[in-house]
Amino acid sequence: MRVEYINPFVESAFNVMKEVLQADVKRGELYLKSTSMPVMGVAAIVGLAGDVEGRVLFDMDKPTALKIASAMNGEDITSMDDLAKATITELANMITAQAVTKLHELGFRFDLTPPAIFTGDNMEVSNQDVEALIVPMETPQGKVEINVAIRERA
Amino acid sequence: MSAQAADTLEAGKRPDEKKERADKIDFKMVTFSLAGKEYGIDIMNVKEIANAGRFTYVPNAAPFVRGVYNLRGDIISIIDLRTMFHLPAERKDDDSLESLLILRVDDHAFGVIVDNIDKVVGVSSAGIQPPHPIFGDINVKYIKGIIENQGKLYIILNVEKLFAPKDEEPEQEMPGLRRGPAQRATPEAAAVAAEAPASAGGSGPAGDVNAEFIRETLFAFRRFGVSAVNDDWFRARYAEWKGMRKPTDLQLREQADADAYLETFYSRCTGELWSEDYADAVVSALPKVESRSINVWNPGCGKGYETYSLAVALRRAYPEARIKIWANDSDLLAISMAPNMVFTPENVPEHYVDHMVKGRNGYTFNQSIRESIFFEFHDVMNSNPVPPVDFILCRDTVSFLSAADQGKLFGDFCEKAKQGGAVVLGTNERMPLEGWRRVGEGPAAVYVRTA
Repeated sequence: MRVEYINPFVESAFNVMKEVLQADVKRGELYLKSTSMPVMGVAAIVGLAGDVEGRVLFDMDKPTALKIASAMNGEDITSMDDLAKATITELANMITAQAVTKLHELGFRFDLTPPAIFTGDNMEVSNQDVEALIVPMETPQGKVEINVAIRERA
Repeated sequence: MSAQAADTLEAGKRPDEKKERADKIDFKMVTFSLAGKEYGIDIMNVKEIANAGRFTYVPNAAPFVRGVYNLRGDIISIIDLRTMFHLPAERKDDDSLESLLILRVDDHAFGVIVDNIDKVVGVSSAGIQPPHPIFGDINVKYIKGIIENQGKLYIILNVEKLFAPKDEEPEQEMPGLRRGPAQRATPEAAAVAAEAPASAGGSGPAGDVNAEFIRETLFAFRRFGVSAVNDDWFRARYAEWKGMRKPTDLQLREQADADAYLETFYSRCTGELWSEDYADAVVSALPKVESRSINVWNPGCGKGYETYSLAVALRRAYPEARIKIWANDSDLLAISMAPNMVFTPENVPEHYVDHMVKGRNGYTFNQSIRESIFFEFHDVMNSNPVPPVDFILCRDTVSFLSAADQGKLFGDFCEKAKQGGAVVLGTNERMPLEGWRRVGEGPAAVYVRTA
């Protein structure tokens, strides 16, 4: 993944989460991964197209998703209902959109696909060919992993 | 090749059958030549033929896309079939015209550049033979069949497969299907891996217990894998090491010892811009590139000094060419500085200054050099999404992998390097595989692919 793409994603994830959760967010060490990976329980995915092709996956477990949805809505949400799903989807959309805006300022053209959300137990995402950058974020609500896989169109 | 193919063709036909077929002409194709061989495309896919030039270059497009062209108001993309199939392409001036076939697949129109357009030939579709595996130049998948007409053999391309929208990245698939190198990759990988343990138990310094121990600790401290790639250096260094140290103090006890041992390993101009004589030595050893675009893969580029050095050296050698360098490293800290590296003109060799511009914080490389390089945070052990390349610059990187990983990376080199392409290794590294010939002298370890 091009070096120029890394910072916009890391920064916008950090800024957006800090703002919507009104809390201290910590960023973990970045690393690369290419094998299939288990999904913790709730995964929001946004596709990228344009100069590049790729996707951004936001992965967290269900309690974290519920706590984040509660914090963002200012009310207690206890089950993965439509509102909870819409909130997580919106979070994914906000982070990706802000990153894409930053990239646009740097001269890279990306388009987004509407986000989709997957929930369930024992899920796994595998596309072995694609190498993903993992940005782990620690929030008071729990751990969120942002998995960015982008490659240049050959 | 064509003689063999003709035999196969003849063997499948009886004379009476041949006569019957010739009567019924139901397939027409436009014939053209690429690198001296005859090809055909179904006339139903050909909208028209044209001569055109001065295509508008599209940045960031695949190497075989020459640009876009305005065909009476329709903007169509122009694809160079010769580049796409890694065939030699004649270099033309900017102003001269290229022979174009305007093709239509589904609703898309686009132009392909070929060497010469010949004529329209009518044949009987029953006479089309399936592609023969010996047609090595072009992936069998993209060939509809071959047909003989008036003593000439035509290879009929399957345009739908070549340019199908869902198959937008033919390039990605091609390396895998260029069967020879890809299949050989695995045994080659095994060869590198197998050679290392064999020499470990062998004669000379490797048989020495201390040498054994140094091998292991080098890997543990610095992930330096002694193998066929660097064994010559390792043996020479061990002899030197024995002279430098007391016999009781031969082993590497900590990282600092490993660093001391490796001191003489690093290539010239590591961690700095290449000096003019080293850059000249490397570039003059590289084979000449005839095509207008030069692709380079630079795994393990570190902070990017060698990438910039090669970019400038290639720019000086090929002022007109389109140069693209895919540079990657798995060290995030090192590579994240690379795209915006700042220099002071006093500290760089003189010949770089022409290619730099003054910025707010100091001098940086100019846009043309910077745009030719993609710096990527990437681990070469994952799948490598680079297109086929002319050169691979990989100095002192292979040695810092385990023997098995070295084999895998060399397998990828064989898959990604074009025929006649070259690999630049570190000064103290050696290409362990068959099918590569050393051409560089002294510190410029350049190997050209011969098979």
